[in-house]
Amino acid sequence: MRLFEYQAKDLFKQYGLPVPRSILVNDVDGIRGAFASLKPPLALKSQVLAGGRGKAGGIAVVDDPTDAEREARRIFSLAIGGEKPNSLLVEEAYPHEKEMYLSVTLDRGDRAFVTIAASAGGVDVESMAGKVIRRISLDGIDGAFATEVAKQVQLPPIQVAPFVSVLLSLERLAREKECELAEINPLAVGKDGFLMPLDAKVIVDDNALFRHPEFAKLHPEDEFEGEASRQGFAFVRLGGDIAVVGNGAGLVLSTLDLVGDAGGNPACFLDLGGGAQQERIEAALRLVNRLPGVDRILVNIYGGITRTTDVAAGINTVLAEGATKPIYARVSGAEEEEARKLLAGTPVRMYGTAPEAVGAVVKGA
Amino acid sequence: MMLPKQGDPILVQNMTGRYGRLHTRLMLDYGTNVAAGSAPGKGGQSVEGVPVCNTVQEAVEKTGARASVCFVPAEFTLAAGEEALNAGIKLLVIITEHVPIRDELRLVEHAQKTGATIVGPNCPGLIVPSQKVKLGIMPAPSFSPGNVALFSRSGTLTYEIAGQLTGAGFGQSVAVGIGGDPINGSTPVEWMDFVQKMDETKAVVAVGEIGGDAEERLARHVEKSGYSKPIVAYIAGRHAPKEKKMGHAGAIIYGDYGTADSKIRALTAAGVKVAATPMEVPTLLKQVLQ
Repeated sequence: MRLFEYQAKDLFKQYGLPVPRSILVNDVDGIRGAFASLKPPLALKSQVLAGGRGKAGGIAVVDDPTDAEREARRIFSLAIGGEKPNSLLVEEAYPHEKEMYLSVTLDRGDRAFVTIAASAGGVDVESMAGKVIRRISLDGIDGAFATEVAKQVQLPPIQVAPFVSVLLSLERLAREKECELAEINPLAVGKDGFLMPLDAKVIVDDNALFRHPEFAKLHPEDEFEGEASRQGFAFVRLGGDIAVVGNGAGLVLSTLDLVGDAGGNPACFLDLGGGAQQERIEAALRLVNRLPGVDRILVNIYGGITRTTDVAAGINTVLAEGATKPIYARVSGAEEEEARKLLAGTPVRMYGTAPEAVGAVVKGA
Repeated sequence: MMLPKQGDPILVQNMTGRYGRLHTRLMLDYGTNVAAGSAPGKGGQSVEGVPVCNTVQEAVEKTGARASVCFVPAEFTLAAGEEALNAGIKLLVIITEHVPIRDELRLVEHAQKTGATIVGPNCPGLIVPSQKVKLGIMPAPSFSPGNVALFSRSGTLTYEIAGQLTGAGFGQSVAVGIGGDPINGSTPVEWMDFVQKMDETKAVVAVGEIGGDAEERLARHVEKSGYSKPIVAYIAGRHAPKEKKMGHAGAIIYGDYGTADSKIRALTAAGVKVAATPMEVPTLLKQVLQ
């Protein structure tokens, strides 16, 4: 679960990391209030989860309330990666001479957490020059380790102590809150050697949320995503007109590719999960039937542990409930002959292979 | 790393749970010697005629098993995995989904210390058709004995591709579910090296998906080691959006990291044939085996 910047910065504060003074505003009217309590120039920052916020125009630096209201109006109505902000973070600009990069993140390939530090910040971590990557123990790091990292990135002596303090706090935050990523980019270097995180990116391990109830209510839930997660489905909205439903994440992912290759636009990715029972198929079909923009439904089931006859029975139940969007189904595997018989004479269009079903659903034939 | 042989005793952890019961029966049906189970407080019970012990230690002492299939819920998987490794289990197959990353890393470290191999978590398990050994939840009819080693990060896609292979006359020497999480107990590279030395394996099929860099590492390994067996790969997720978890915890693209394009490019450059669809896998396999 990725946190919004303001949520990540609240977490930073809890862990003793410095952050610029700021106020969160939920509408344009809140901007004048911010000028009463903060010292301009102020940065207005769109609170969206999508990447590339700065480039997309989601940040503006303003000196007076009139400019601020105009910019706030613009940013509130600006969708970044399809996402409009519910709030803006209004923050005091921090005068600085230099920007650094610092993160604690999972290195999947090396199967370890690492800290990445670079004395020059940047947009692209991959190509960052002179970056230092150090493996860190699951039990944490100490001052000596952090000092070594400071030396490796060749910080001047005046910056070493502030850096050590920031790295120790960030690592403790990442470890205790079980983050996949805790990143400061940029980490501003002030004249006096003081370090100030200007942005904060935190991704918490979804699978560890059961140990962190404090994160449970941080996100406003999309109605459909909420229902899907209560049903135990893996579900992602994609914005097209063909709902893609199947059993198994990889199978549904490969079905999206077939749909995309055939020129179709998936409305969603819905993985029923392994061993799906009849009720789960029914719940999934009801959900995608209500999903805005859905015009046709593609069901791709490879029966193994999931019984194809259960799938057919579930489809029949939903058909009997009345109007459903046209269903194109490929159901194969154990008991597929019986499943076909169950669906014979219904409006469901049945296909023997995934490419056939995909070809038909994309054409809408 | 060693594969179990026909008749080797196998344990099932959390045998008395819903999935433990179901798959104990299905593994027995396949011909696998499920010799004992474990479930705290359930010692003395039996499932499908197989005795249940309170601890893995007891089950190991009773049967001499060195392999275990773990169906313990995610919250308790770390403890159950450590229990198994401490009891002398050398092949630990973890089916459980939603295990926290830091718990997985602890298990990986622990297994390295005891010299054990972990398969998964979040995987369908491992199957050796010629030995009637199935340590997992895959549907038996999709698989058949043969000479193709199959590794996959995805469950149903494994079944689908195994089914396609079986249909085209390509049986499998071994099929391994690597797991859909960001951390895998054993990696595709480790399994590639293992089957390199396996006489029964004439070709390898590697099924990957978006997220991480396992396929890029595999490609580098193939190039550097001068891998001798023909390989066909398939990568799911060419049309997946960025920054969205596509079902598996590990199937997510961050920026340009973990895209299908990057994986396909790396594999192709290493001389691996990459299928555009699961259905194309047997066709390419025929070509590379000629």
